[in-house]
Amino acid sequence: MRPSPIQPLPARSSRYGIDPQLVKKRFAELPGMTSVTLRELFPDSPNVIYPSAEGIAAIRRATEEKMEQMDLSMIQPYQSVNVLASHHGFTLLGGEPYAEVLRTIYDVVKRRTGAKEVRLRAGVGLRFRETEEYIKRFELKQYFDRALGMAPIDEGIPIETEIGTLYGLKRAYDADWIIHVHNSDVREVHFHRQVDRAVKPFGMSYARIETRSTYHQNLGPRAANFTARAIFESPFVQSKFVGAVFMNMSPSGVVSIEADNDLYKINDTVTLDGLRYYGKVFHLLGRIDECIVGLDFPCPVPYVFSAGVIYCNFVGANVDLFDLDVKLPPYTWYTEAFYGKDGRPLLPDISPVNPAIRMVIHNYAWIGYPSAFFAQQLPTLVVGKEQAELFEHDPQNMEYMKYAMVADNLEDAMRFAYRTTGTDKVLVFDGAVGGMNVSASLADHLMKEAPAASAYVESVLMPKWLKQRGIHVFA
Amino acid sequence: MRLINTVARIIDDKCTGCKICAQVCPTLAITMEPIPGSKNRKLAIVADEQCTGCTACEQRCPFDAIYMENMEESRVIGVNPAQVEQERLQQICYDAHLHPEQVVCYCTGTRAEEVAAAILLGADTPDKISMATGLRTGCTVECLQPAMRLLHAAGHHPEPQKGMYQWYGATPTIWDIPDEIKEKYVQRGFYFDDDIEFMERIRNYQSNAEASANGSKGEVK
Ligand code: SF4
Ligand code: SF4
Repeated sequence: MRPSPIQPLPARSSRYGIDPQLVKKRFAELPGMTSVTLRELFPDSPNVIYPSAEGIAAIRRATEEKMEQMDLSMIQPYQSVNVLASHHGFTLLGGEPYAEVLRTIYDVVKRRTGAKEVRLRAGVGLRFRETEEYIKRFELKQYFDRALGMAPIDEGIPIETEIGTLYGLKRAYDADWIIHVHNSDVREVHFHRQVDRAVKPFGMSYARIETRSTYHQNLGPRAANFTARAIFESPFVQSKFVGAVFMNMSPSGVVSIEADNDLYKINDTVTLDGLRYYGKVFHLLGRIDECIVGLDFPCPVPYVFSAGVIYCNFVGANVDLFDLDVKLPPYTWYTEAFYGKDGRPLLPDISPVNPAIRMVIHNYAWIGYPSAFFAQQLPTLVVGKEQAELFEHDPQNMEYMKYAMVADNLEDAMRFAYRTTGTDKVLVFDGAVGGMNVSASLADHLMKEAPAASAYVESVLMPKWLKQRGIHVFA
Repeated sequence: MRLINTVARIIDDKCTGCKICAQVCPTLAITMEPIPGSKNRKLAIVADEQCTGCTACEQRCPFDAIYMENMEESRVIGVNPAQVEQERLQQICYDAHLHPEQVVCYCTGTRAEEVAAAILLGADTPDKISMATGLRTGCTVECLQPAMRLLHAAGHHPEPQKGMYQWYGATPTIWDIPDEIKEKYVQRGFYFDDDIEFMERIRNYQSNAEASANGSKGEVK
């Protein structure tokens, strides 16, 4: 008999989602649902320091230990330090581990340098109040000397780079020193393609709209993340850069904390570990032949996740997103841009979205990210008219409900999905920690496929991925 | 085309006159007006007909003095590309390295041809393009540069307004990256030249119908 589903993260109160009370039922409560752990699928899954029996103390201990190796001697007591954070970190494992990393950095920097002011500056994606919500929730204003959310439309400053002028957020750089605090969750592989993962926020959450638009429109699908490197390498940023602290993630949790004055050292570690830890899950999900997808997590549509993989990457799981020979993933903004007025791709060789997805049941997901593409490409049922109304009035999603249908409740939506798709395989993106919530039939399928997926990644894909990124691994 | 179904409303009692909303509004819908009877105090005023409901002001007001109101009757803004000379429209898109049908704003689904048409009809700044087409009124973040590229291709070089945050300027494109930079980084997995080749194929792509109408075949302009 298969185990019960893993308890998903509860619905969260946010201006970007419906009132949690309106989320009447979760996928994990439906009959026929079960879970499969990453350890069952891949016995070589890495050990994690969090979640663990030690609890959040493990995060503090690891951050303190790793920061010991960091040189902070350049920071003088009369100076200021901006601890740069991004919203992503707060969406992992409920947000507390990232908040604890940030608090620990504050304590270490204060203790070792006596710096006059250590501030938190937390950037966002396209939901400008998101980190303000996290700052409040984790009481970071009380912890830091100052704590502020930054948005890409806030006042900017020009940054001269190797390729020309780009723009950063003034508030990110308004201290004598900066410390870059991020995580290695692969997340938007369709954008960064696991190239310079550790550098990305310099072109995103710490950047102005001009720069972000450069990333998403002026470079190409595989060159885009160079925007971040160009900014990071600029003399201006280098003159303020102290070092970086990272939560090194796997689909099961936090593997380690990495801290270094050299961002590229961390970059190499997280690039390699990201391919290692996430590669097998990505490849396994690409072996699903058919399924109904459930969206059920407090995040915008593309970011809801299952076993560390975000939904929009399952939409592209019919190709190998880590393979840099793949020019264009089935979902990335560059792809979305290349569908003509007749709804068909402008070039015949643009990959269609994952044909394994037969229907999407949107039980709970947030606004604040352009998501019409998903509803355009995949049959989508949104649960509850309040949620439909929220999307109808979101300036980023004016077209989402033009293509999606509304269901009164989750049970009816699933009955409809089972009947019309003819499949009983269900994959739920509800952020279950340590595994994924699925139907029994999909659990069986995944268990059957996992050994072959694992072997194929190790012997064929991993060597190719590493070679494409110029990474040499010595046994 | 952009459907508009919400409008920004100022809560006068909470507004401190800090001006941030006016500095970020992509369609310049907010002005700061003196409060009658006060010496220097100003209040934000929204021109409803210019507001697209993008929420930028509401999400940046530090004093929670703005809320979004659902409109009783929604309205639509947009430019029909068929109104302008097609050859010029296509040339602007081509020079900006964009296919006319390419989507340049992911929130509103605005295509390059609509922006080019707006420019040919007189929109010579990003703000005016936003007012005409709705581009930059969804997330307000990602689609500035295609607008700049299309403006430049049409011969316009707008200057940003001093003290405002709407936009600062054009930035480099993949076509501007010097060879020595490409060479320096290509080993790290940045595929500049391959991406250029791919994006050129998109720009040059003609549908079979277009191609046969023009007597050419396939992918060349
Ligand atoms: S941002 Fe808010 S407080 Fe400042 S002027 Fe606008 S409405 Fe008033
Ligand atoms: S909602 Fe957008 S368009 Fe309307 S006033 Fe505010 S910033 Fe301007």
